[in-house]
Amino acid sequence: MLQVESVSKRFRTGNYGVRDLSFEAKGGVLGLLGPNGAGKTTLMQMIATITRPTSGRISFRGIDIGAKPDELRRKLGYLPQDFGVYDNLTALEFLTYFASLKGVHNRARVNEMLEMVNLHSVANRTVGGFSGGMKQRLGIAQALVNDPDLVIVDEPTAGLDPEERVRFRNILSDLGVGRLVILSTHIVSDVESIATEIAIIRQGALVAFATPEELMRAADGNVWEMVLTSEQFDAMRRNLQVSSAVRKSDGVHVRVVSQSRPTSDASPAEPTLEDAFLHQGRAA
Amino acid sequence: MSERLQRITAIVRADFLIRFRRPSTLVVFLILSAFAYLWIPDPKSGRALIVIENARALYNSAAIAMGTATLGTIFIGLAGFYVISNALKRDVLSRCGFVIASTTMRGSEYLLAKFIGNVVFLSTFMAGYMVSSMAMVIVRGEAALNPFVFIKQYLLVVPPAIVFVSALAIVFESVPWLSGKFGDVVYFFLWTASLGIVASNMEQGNGATWIRYFDFSSFGFLFQNLKDTLHTTQLSIGGSSFDAKKPLFVFSGLQLTRDWIAPRIGATLMPISLLVIARLFFHRFDPARVRIAGEKAKRTWTGRLNALAKPFARALFALGARGGGSFLASARADALMTITAFPLALFAAIGFAIASLAAGNTGFFTVTLPIAIAAFAIVIADIACREKRAGTLGFAYAAPMLQARFVLWKLTSTLFVALIFLGAPLVRCALTHPASLPALLTGIVFVAAIATTLGVVSANPKTFIVVFLTFWYVALNDKGTSAALDFAGFYGKATPFVVLSYTALAAGSLALAHAFHAAQLRRA
Repeated sequence: MLQVESVSKRFRTGNYGVRDLSFEAKGGVLGLLGPNGAGKTTLMQMIATITRPTSGRISFRGIDIGAKPDELRRKLGYLPQDFGVYDNLTALEFLTYFASLKGVHNRARVNEMLEMVNLHSVANRTVGGFSGGMKQRLGIAQALVNDPDLVIVDEPTAGLDPEERVRFRNILSDLGVGRLVILSTHIVSDVESIATEIAIIRQGALVAFATPEELMRAADGNVWEMVLTSEQFDAMRRNLQVSSAVRKSDGVHVRVVSQSRPTSDASPAEPTLEDAFLHQGRAA
Repeated sequence: MSERLQRITAIVRADFLIRFRRPSTLVVFLILSAFAYLWIPDPKSGRALIVIENARALYNSAAIAMGTATLGTIFIGLAGFYVISNALKRDVLSRCGFVIASTTMRGSEYLLAKFIGNVVFLSTFMAGYMVSSMAMVIVRGEAALNPFVFIKQYLLVVPPAIVFVSALAIVFESVPWLSGKFGDVVYFFLWTASLGIVASNMEQGNGATWIRYFDFSSFGFLFQNLKDTLHTTQLSIGGSSFDAKKPLFVFSGLQLTRDWIAPRIGATLMPISLLVIARLFFHRFDPARVRIAGEKAKRTWTGRLNALAKPFARALFALGARGGGSFLASARADALMTITAFPLALFAAIGFAIASLAAGNTGFFTVTLPIAIAAFAIVIADIACREKRAGTLGFAYAAPMLQARFVLWKLTSTLFVALIFLGAPLVRCALTHPASLPALLTGIVFVAAIATTLGVVSANPKTFIVVFLTFWYVALNDKGTSAALDFAGFYGKATPFVVLSYTALAAGSLALAHAFHAAQLRRA
């Protein structure tokens, strides 16, 4: 479905946003994981045809989107990071506006989208008074209004409360059927339950591209659990890659990603996606 | 309807709704309507809208329409630009531009839509102003209202200015080094210069035919008409004094003669070609190009001067930021933040200090001081609204006293900036013309108060820039003829009553701002 071949993006400052990156995604939800500044947004902007790669080729369903960007744009839904709204428009006007820009002139489709993101009851309220979650839901509605084959959402859950995050995640997981959804985040739990494939990016380079199960399998034997005293924990935390640490009455319950057993009483643990992500970073 | 036309219509409609639902639009419209009331005074006051060779024109539809349309054109040129020059920036800041860039919309299509949006907005705004001017025929008229005569005068005068300003706003937004505060200042001087060039050329009678095609302000057309019909070019529009003994003259309206048809159409359509320049610079929201635009802006001479002044501004900030958490210290820190954010202001302050020392008396009061105060106005325009625009109001409110005394805090901060920026001119005035000092001090406080009020109420720095520069332009062109307009004593005509009136206006506006702020806090 989507092929990214040796794509690089070099800025005039000489810095690379993305460097020699290649992968092929089929359908479903592709989680793009990486720390802040890893190059996720630059990659997504190149796929969304907003900026051109310095070198390399991106094609969607066999069509080179560098040469024919409009072929993709007709089937594209994009929700940028920190998406803002026009405060003085109502939700209905805002969505109708973007629908028109995308060539959708069906009022029923706009209403259907507002219902899908549960904003139909506030359709005639100006969006300036919406919460962050409501604005993000309106953002996803505009991304989907043209029934796209490729949906790109960049850090959609940043700044949302836990309830809104779950709601947003559910919307995205329903979308993956019959299309490709690319979801970038630095929060592993956002993609844990919905991603069918995961790409891990660090410093503009692709570190791993696999299914969540494969990533977790790769981390097998590298995750350890142990209980430490506060003093032991403080002494060891600088040298260990800590996945989680919970202070309890009997000590600090620590989960560590390490190739070798960190202490004699550490026991092997089943890797989570978070562990797998840390493991890939370590391997890189 | 084709897909392209539908997209353009959608953008024009959205821009229209966004702009007309902004409080700042209402503020500017109310102020413009108030200007209409002031510009058409009761002749019993000894002043009239149109005065030609000391005789006033009868208040009929043609005279009031021509007078208000001409003043409206000046207003469009000065204020309209600032009101509309955020069409592209809004999409960059909200990141809606990224979504637009991910659609099939062409860059030229987008710019054309934004340009039409500007034209529609300004036209609607002027139509509203025309209606309020029509109402003045009912209030002050000396003949029956004739709407068709009114509309004809507006159609003859206004369209070239609307199209020119709309296109220029798109160009200024697209060219990186013209898209910020520097561009705002460049535009102001560009427009005021362009106002005079065609008109003076026509007035002196040496105007070539081709120059008529550049008569965007319609002043050339106006003077030619007066020459042809009344055999004079001595015209005064907007509350000018007249000789009551002279007989009234009846103005029958501007006429479109055959030799002016092509130049009028040309002046209306030619500015559209400016969009080609805009297209050359437009980044189509490509983040790499937006970033480059930012870097290029830093490489302009203002950018370099800003960079050069930055260490001094930072040192000043570090020096001034000391001294505890008192209310005054907070205001001082906020003032230094203004200088740190726009270090070029430091060079400007030094420049005005040198000019104040070097200028002769007349030059000091009529050139240096007015320019220094206009520059000061641009520097302080965003002080009262920057937290709201940056989403950092919560940080300010968390500091002691600042939430409840927000208006006072911003006023004090603005006055601190005035001390840095206008300190030398104030000292010069105190030493050489102490009698003018109260008027100058009042003028500065008045400017600071209006900037604070409009910033708090409209949350948009451009509202103040628009209102103040228009007022400044009117006051300067009056050259002290009306004591009431000599707000800072530039012409030595400000009477104690005028000084007191401006003090009362400043206090009234601050009370309004405080009431508005308190109401907002109650609603929150």
